Amino acid sequence: MRSASHESRGLGRDWRFWLLLVALVAILAALFAPRIVRIGNVRDLLLVVDVTGSMNVRDATLAGAPATRLAAAKRGARDVLAGLPCGSRMGLGIFTERRSFLLFAPAEVCENFAAIAGSLDGLDWRMAWEGDSYVARGVHGALAMAGGLDADLVFMTDGHEAPPLANGELPAFDGRPGEVAGLLVGVGGSDPSPIPKFDQDGREVGFYTEQDVPQENRIGPPPADAASRAGWNPRNAPWGGEPATGTEHLSSMREAHLRALASQTGLGFLALGSGGGLLAAVEADTRARPVEMRVDIAAIPAALALFCLALLFGLGATTSRRPERLPTR
Amino acid sequence: MTAVFAVWEGLSRGWGVDHPLLLWLLPLALLPLVATAFRRRGIPSATLVPDDPLSRAMAAGLRAAGTFAILALVLGIAGLHRREQSVQREGNGAHLVLLLDRSSSMDNSFADRAPTGDQESKSAAAKRLLAEFVARRPHDRIAVAAFSTSPMPVLPLTDHHEVVQAAIDAIDRPGLAFTDVGRGLALAFSYFADDTAEASRAVLLVSDGAALIDRRVQDALRDAAARTPVHLYWLFLRSRGARGIYDVPASGDDTAQANPERHLHLFLQSLGVPYRAFEATSPQAVAEAITEIDRQETQPIRYIERIPRRDLAHPAFLIAGLAVVLLLAAKLAERRLRPAAASSATPAANPAKPSPAGPAPATDPRRAA
Repeated sequence: MRSASHESRGLGRDWRFWLLLVALVAILAALFAPRIVRIGNVRDLLLVVDVTGSMNVRDATLAGAPATRLAAAKRGARDVLAGLPCGSRMGLGIFTERRSFLLFAPAEVCENFAAIAGSLDGLDWRMAWEGDSYVARGVHGALAMAGGLDADLVFMTDGHEAPPLANGELPAFDGRPGEVAGLLVGVGGSDPSPIPKFDQDGREVGFYTEQDVPQENRIGPPPADAASRAGWNPRNAPWGGEPATGTEHLSSMREAHLRALASQTGLGFLALGSGGGLLAAVEADTRARPVEMRVDIAAIPAALALFCLALLFGLGATTSRRPERLPTR
Repeated sequence: MTAVFAVWEGLSRGWGVDHPLLLWLLPLALLPLVATAFRRRGIPSATLVPDDPLSRAMAAGLRAAGTFAILALVLGIAGLHRREQSVQREGNGAHLVLLLDRSSSMDNSFADRAPTGDQESKSAAAKRLLAEFVARRPHDRIAVAAFSTSPMPVLPLTDHHEVVQAAIDAIDRPGLAFTDVGRGLALAFSYFADDTAEASRAVLLVSDGAALIDRRVQDALRDAAARTPVHLYWLFLRSRGARGIYDVPASGDDTAQANPERHLHLFLQSLGVPYRAFEATSPQAVAEAITEIDRQETQPIRYIERIPRRDLAHPAFLIAGLAVVLLLAAKLAERRLRPAAASSATPAANPAKPSPAGPAPATDPRRAA
């Protein structure tokens, strides 16, 4: 009698009570849980896209269909934009001639996603202001620009130099290799493909032929073997008497050239394939900027509370439900 | 069926969870309907328990408390939130295209020299003043286009001014060679081609010079101006010594080749759209012109105001906590049924009567019945 009354007064609480109590304490913990500070990594990128004529070559694939290199580059850039964590910033520039031209300085990617994506969509070969394509100088200029903006460089190009480099040598790089981190992204296939040609109204009118483009760079001193060429004259024909021949009117992604350029400037290199991997390469080759992110940990104690309640009601539901088996005392 | 779908559509537009897979835990909320947090005990006869509406309500309420606690916990853990909403509001502003000259002459000072010491280049002055202008006009939708040798779309019409400021930041970078105003204007007009909003539309051309406009481009511009009613502002950053747009030269010299600025002005006047030119020969004059444009472009505009996403995990946990407190209070008030034999001292006491101390139905009578 005494013990029964004692029990009912509260000391001998049953397991259901304790589960409820634990659940309540866990919920209180969830309500008052502090947010812990975690260090997250965001990136500051300057994306420069080559918009020269060779980027119109249709040897890239987009969703299984042939596409221009520029379209593939835009698609890759958009994937990077979508994959960057919030707080990252991205700026955009275009490259033609020998310069990289900044369209906008890096801006936060999540808040401004639609505008940046729209801007990427708007990239077009018509934005190019000259036909030349000094890729190496463009990369050098873009590195200086990215350094000034305190961002890392992602440069998307097919590496097609027009006119070709004198003696095939890279121009000297003024900056310090590796000072600005970043990635060169090679766009396009490895087989030489014809380059579409447009008239002054922007209509496609065929492809460039061998005579349409300079096949040899005849600026600066002639190469060492020039004296052995037919018709060579040191004053009147220092490059030989014949017009240069070659395959500069066909374009492929110049991987060797881009790799040499990447090692000269301390950038990484990735050939943009049809699959993913661009975002991973961008993350591997650019510097992470640590930012404090507040992480809510309330879900952990809340999960414990949920477990307690599920256990409480689950056990209650699975134990015998037949009234005649219930204890009567 | 479609009604159900519409309701779901409406719900998922306004509300969301971060981890939808966790919603599979929601059926756990059915458990409190078949189980109870209280001791269950048999009683010899259901007639011992009078039918008491209050007790029934209490029992139902406590079951509901259990269900709500589990529902709220699952939703809270799954990260229930009210999605970012956008509300249309009325304000003063415009849809604005900033058409910026990026030719290299913009890098010179107003004296048309490389800027020295305390002088400001035209592009730096334009950058500073445009940045202030944009900051003063929070409700505008702004697009940015640049032109030099070729026209370049930079940003589509956007409400997000951070990226607009980033684009304005870029204009004092070294520019390109030429000034192709005509195709730049055509690009600026094209921004409004599919802009159907009933807002005031304006193109703000900022340049320090002009060039001939191809006759075909002139025709295209006349067409575009007839199709899209825009307000046109030309902020002409006039260098010292350069010819002004209002100077009428001696007859014979008045050709478009010799005075491209004046002839651009005449051409823009002939477009038939509201047009104003501002000739600014110093950063102060630029500031005055921009203030004037700011004053002119204050038509009412519907703009979208975003209400940020609201996390509802905390309120959900609060509801779960209250429900558990209720259950716990009921649990504390739970009394044991004592068979009459064991408590002979109080034979009259009805063992099934809810104790006056609390709302607890000691044992659900219907279970035992």
